[in-house]
Amino acid sequence: MSVSERQRAAYVAAQAADVRVHFEIEAEGMTLNIGPQHPATHGTLRVIVRLDGEQVVWADPVAGYMHRGYEKLCEVRDYAQVTTLINRIDWLGSFCNEVPFILAAEELMGIEAPPRAQYIRTVLFEMGRVANLTLFLGDMAAQVGALTPVFYAFRDREYVLNLIEAATGGRFHPNFDRIGGLKDDLPKGWIDEAHLVMRKIRRFCDEIDELLIGNRIFEERCRGIGVIPADVALEYGLSGANLRASGIDYDIRRDEASPLAWKDAEFKVWTHPDGDSFARYWVRQQEVREATRIVEQLLDGLPSGPIRAKTPARIRVPKGETWVHTENPLGEMGYYVVSDGSPGGPFRCKIRTPSFSNVSIVPWVLQGVYVPDVITILASLYFILGDIDR
Amino acid sequence: MSRLAPEPEPGEPEAGSVATESEPPAETPAPSPRHAEIVATLAEALGDGFIEHHYSAREAWVRVTPGSWRETGRVCKERLGLTYLCFVSAIDWKQAPDLGAEKLWDPEAEPTEDRGDGPGRWVTGLAGGETRFQVFARVADVIGHVGLFLKTDAGDEDPRAESWVPLFRGADWHERETWEMYGVEFDGHPGLRHLYLPGEFEGFPLRKDFPLLAREVKPWPGLVNVEGLPGEDEPTESGDVGEE
Amino acid sequence: MGLVEKGVLSKPALKPLTWLLNYSRKYSLWMFQWGLACCAIEMGASLASPRYDVMRLGVIPFPASPRQADLICVSGTVTDKMAPAVKRLYEQMPDPKYVISMGSCANCGGPYWDSYSVTKGVDQIIPVDVYVPGCPPRPEALLEAIVILQAKIRDEDMADRWTRGEPVGTRA
Repeated sequence: MSVSERQRAAYVAAQAADVRVHFEIEAEGMTLNIGPQHPATHGTLRVIVRLDGEQVVWADPVAGYMHRGYEKLCEVRDYAQVTTLINRIDWLGSFCNEVPFILAAEELMGIEAPPRAQYIRTVLFEMGRVANLTLFLGDMAAQVGALTPVFYAFRDREYVLNLIEAATGGRFHPNFDRIGGLKDDLPKGWIDEAHLVMRKIRRFCDEIDELLIGNRIFEERCRGIGVIPADVALEYGLSGANLRASGIDYDIRRDEASPLAWKDAEFKVWTHPDGDSFARYWVRQQEVREATRIVEQLLDGLPSGPIRAKTPARIRVPKGETWVHTENPLGEMGYYVVSDGSPGGPFRCKIRTPSFSNVSIVPWVLQGVYVPDVITILASLYFILGDIDR
Repeated sequence: MSRLAPEPEPGEPEAGSVATESEPPAETPAPSPRHAEIVATLAEALGDGFIEHHYSAREAWVRVTPGSWRETGRVCKERLGLTYLCFVSAIDWKQAPDLGAEKLWDPEAEPTEDRGDGPGRWVTGLAGGETRFQVFARVADVIGHVGLFLKTDAGDEDPRAESWVPLFRGADWHERETWEMYGVEFDGHPGLRHLYLPGEFEGFPLRKDFPLLAREVKPWPGLVNVEGLPGEDEPTESGDVGEE
Repeated sequence: MGLVEKGVLSKPALKPLTWLLNYSRKYSLWMFQWGLACCAIEMGASLASPRYDVMRLGVIPFPASPRQADLICVSGTVTDKMAPAVKRLYEQMPDPKYVISMGSCANCGGPYWDSYSVTKGVDQIIPVDVYVPGCPPRPEALLEAIVILQAKIRDEDMADRWTRGEPVGTRA
């Protein structure tokens, strides 16, 4: 071929290629598989999304990669062994998991823990909340793209874990609660150290204020993303900060009577009317501040006395059924304990975990969002895999 | 026990319930006027569907017939303001054939021993029950801080219940989990499929006759015959785990 | 390395080369954090927190993909549903690769030894080099495990590894 013929052939071929590209292609959407191993999914959650371009048309979270069979295992273990095991459901604020179960067992047995034990339980509960939510504050920032706060979060969390370890022996998974009270009393100097650490945590919250709240990029990424109206939230059983961020003023600590010492502390329950990811983040940040104040108030007013009520050596819980729920860092956690009066463990222990309901809304809330916002929404709903899968 | 029958005298067992040793002789009053109002409205709305109720110091339980399970949910959500779905799950009232492995493994033993219960002889819990499987749920009013437990019988062999998904969208996942763990079929559910377990899993794990194979083969180590400490004569008897 | 496989280079002559290779490999491990459960938080504390910094041992925490990783730390409970993913992940890593099993769940099933859905130990699926006991093990325990692994790498015989007959970096 001569040069001009080659050129002409090339020109025609280029035009044909152009036509192919500009022709409307009716193609199927892409199915994207997020997880189960993914730095942004807080653990082993797999979310299958079907995309139309950049928007999600269908989403399905596949849980169960951390299913360890808690409810079955609780039936074959006795009450002390179950206490050890249930620490590991919400593995960041671990003490908070033990408390409702122990309260349920105490209610069935008719044992009341002494006031000092109830105060210290509440203090450790709120510290578990601080430990849990500071990690959230850092982690959600990391999902959104701000890489600095996560290091501050880990650093300040270490102070709280130090305290919990000094009192209970375990950084997390303290396994400290017993039927009738606690295992041990607080060590010397713990209360002064706790005051210092709570001030440090409040300074961390102020740092987060400076870095993120009011940061233009954070606001653009989070405001208006993943709005959950209040009635949908109730239908799905959302609880905790997710519900309060949709405007519903419900906090089990304030609203329901409990043997624990929340009634002796003054704290504010924060709500936000928007129901978007920013609201969820903001509500949790205020909760951390309130938790530090609760700890300080309770430690100032700590009653003296025994740390554990008299309990029989062999725990034998009489026949009955009871339900105890508390305001855990993730939401409303409850234990429905059925006992048949035999020695050994519960007959049936239904564990109502908050993340289970929080994640069940994911198919609904991810409709029509863009792919980067999927990560923001998952981060703001804040689930822990052990809590979903039990 | 029929709805709102006159309360039995203290000391008299409630008619129709399974007699157990720690059954309270007198009926506890309602924890709050709102609870009493909720129970009364349900009784009036469901008619024959309402079987019995039970109060404790803080909570209320209501048992309904299986045919009125969805109607109960609708009344709770639309008339009583109980719009928050806490959970839906099930209980298996069959006595477990020693899942705790208090025994040592005996290859000649019967696989499922009879513990004295069976159809018509189930020992059930609060608000009674006639079948082996019961579906139970909790709904709450988060503004008024009131909750209610609802129970219904699901059956002995192939448990079934009506689905609450048309009422509470969150019931989707709860019912999937209940089906997966107990085998309860929910009529009207968009698609019951595995939530936690891999697709090839066989059996329903939370049923009492589902064995934990690791425990069948290897008993709990605390029960194994161990050597005596230096200075002791006898090894500890297996089964005396409480003395340690 | 055909010289090694063909036996051209004698073993004693290889020693300084092996020492150099091992020395450089053990201080530049790229660790893929397969964080599953509670142990992942302790692993995160040792990786990301300034208190138990793991980078001072030469271990860099966050590779972009398993294909760039030398070391994988399985931390947390491995369930039967997750096990194929772990195996696939292990196969994606190129040789030489090392595995640390962190926590009792990954070692032997841990507190869930009788569960119907838990794999009793990750060594049922992939070969493990170092086991870290604990529930959860402290971050210092993970650092100790890395030091033990580094000692193990130091004593490795490269010639053995290349002439063992095992497939290198291919799908098993």
